[in-house]
Amino acid sequence: MSKLTVLSPEGYPPAVTTAGLSAPLDGLKGKTVFLVDVGFENSDNFMRQLQGWLGEHEPSIKTEVVRWADQHRPDPVLSERIRSQGDAAILGVGL
Amino acid sequence: MCSPEVSGHVKELEVDYGVPSVGVHADVFARLVEAVSRQNGQPRARRAFVPTPVTTKTPAELRGYIEGNDPISGRPFYEQLVEELTRALADEDLRGTESDRSTPRLLEPGSEDDLQQVFIDNYWTDFLPIVLPTEERVQRMLKGTSHAPDELVGSLRPTGYRELWEFTVEKVAVNAVMAGARPEYLPVILALAASGVTARQSSTSSMANLAVVNGPIRDEIGMGSGIGALGPYNHANATIGRAYGLLSQNLQGGSRPGTTYMGAQGNPFNYSSVTFAENEEASPWSPYHVQEGHQPDESTVSPFYVWGASWNEGIRDTWQENLKAMLGGQDPFMGAILTLDPIVARDLVARGFDTKEKLVAWIHENVRMRADLYWDRFTMRNLMHDIARRGEEPWATYAKAAPGDLLPVFEPDLIKIVVVGGSSNGQWYSFNGRTLDPRFRNDPSDPMTVSVDAWR
Repeated sequence: MSKLTVLSPEGYPPAVTTAGLSAPLDGLKGKTVFLVDVGFENSDNFMRQLQGWLGEHEPSIKTEVVRWADQHRPDPVLSERIRSQGDAAILGVGL
Repeated sequence: MCSPEVSGHVKELEVDYGVPSVGVHADVFARLVEAVSRQNGQPRARRAFVPTPVTTKTPAELRGYIEGNDPISGRPFYEQLVEELTRALADEDLRGTESDRSTPRLLEPGSEDDLQQVFIDNYWTDFLPIVLPTEERVQRMLKGTSHAPDELVGSLRPTGYRELWEFTVEKVAVNAVMAGARPEYLPVILALAASGVTARQSSTSSMANLAVVNGPIRDEIGMGSGIGALGPYNHANATIGRAYGLLSQNLQGGSRPGTTYMGAQGNPFNYSSVTFAENEEASPWSPYHVQEGHQPDESTVSPFYVWGASWNEGIRDTWQENLKAMLGGQDPFMGAILTLDPIVARDLVARGFDTKEKLVAWIHENVRMRADLYWDRFTMRNLMHDIARRGEEPWATYAKAAPGDLLPVFEPDLIKIVVVGGSSNGQWYSFNGRTLDPRFRNDPSDPMTVSVDAWR
């Protein structure tokens, strides 16, 4: 049976560029963690519940629930604030 | 779909601001999050999962998620968060990854049956047989345009905050061959590819597309605008629509359940992308593309997103109440695309609607929804609430409405009217659909009615 040669139907992916993670923390005790509601449905309630749970079980961790300005864009103002005032961030919820 | 955005913002905080950050996602997105992390150059980006769904859960149920286990790692959710923020990182994590993922021009030679299976195994088809894109067939397809095979056409992606894949004229022609299209259809197919509007959107809400062709190209390639135009009764309509779907999934980097497609049920309109020509000759109104600023002798194609459609028949004495009921339950974010048989259009003219704009104004004014229902919609909660919060009108005013106040379901720019059909029945559909929101376009200023002539 003769063989056919055909073209690939796929497009061209962009090259993956390096993007390293930031250094880990030595623990969360006494740290400030921003709980970032990215703005999707029920994320505000989720972050408030997480804040409440942390307040009860890990009271040394300082938390603040904040809202990302626009789900579909970077938020440089909030990001700068988290960098200057926080040690870590938890973002969500991806759904 | 929101997980790519959360992953993107995690990366921004990690890379641009040096803040260790964890993304929390619903567990149904685990494979997608992993794929996005790899594409972001962070294969082990910090992440934790809670059960699906999140949207409809009470605060107590959400607390239960936090007190329970991460369903992917199996460890307590809080422990997962701590682990992600404190675990020692490998050199690869600190450095990130870099790779070139170039795709080949030619596949390994094979028999007809073997190659059909290769295309199926790689999710390059719609699981119906394809025409294999041999060099000879692709060369023949390329005769349908004056553009060079290696000319860059544009870029596509399955949703916002995912990577954009690029493609050339030849790549579009390959997919056109697969769909069974003829060379003379290629300018329409290239225009759809250049629109930046994918026909394989990955939304959990199962989106599909509708594409309206206007101008002289309709007759030149024999498109259907009469009886059966929206169904499988015209070669050009059928294969252009199929090509639009195939090129979208293949040129954007895939449409695979779990990684690049997340529609809960899928959408049957994805098979055809509902592609047809407007029946300009039988319409009493201006053609759609003229309304969008084009000349009557220009050829264009206009892609839309749709979820589904409601059917109706005739303009009878109760038509106004009928129309309110038909449109009143549709989604305000997605808008309404009315496809009216010429009988319906002429009957509306007889009742005073001598322009499409007058009908649009009537619908905007009279089709209403209670404010509490309006703001309880999935799309309004997830995509429009932020806009209202930022003060953009009219949504800022709508957000202040009392629960029982009646709000317009559709803003005027989300009501589109197209005349199509062969007058065997006064049939009309309202597709719940819209043009791509500027927030999700590759460039917010991209036109949503695209020139076909530019791709001849």
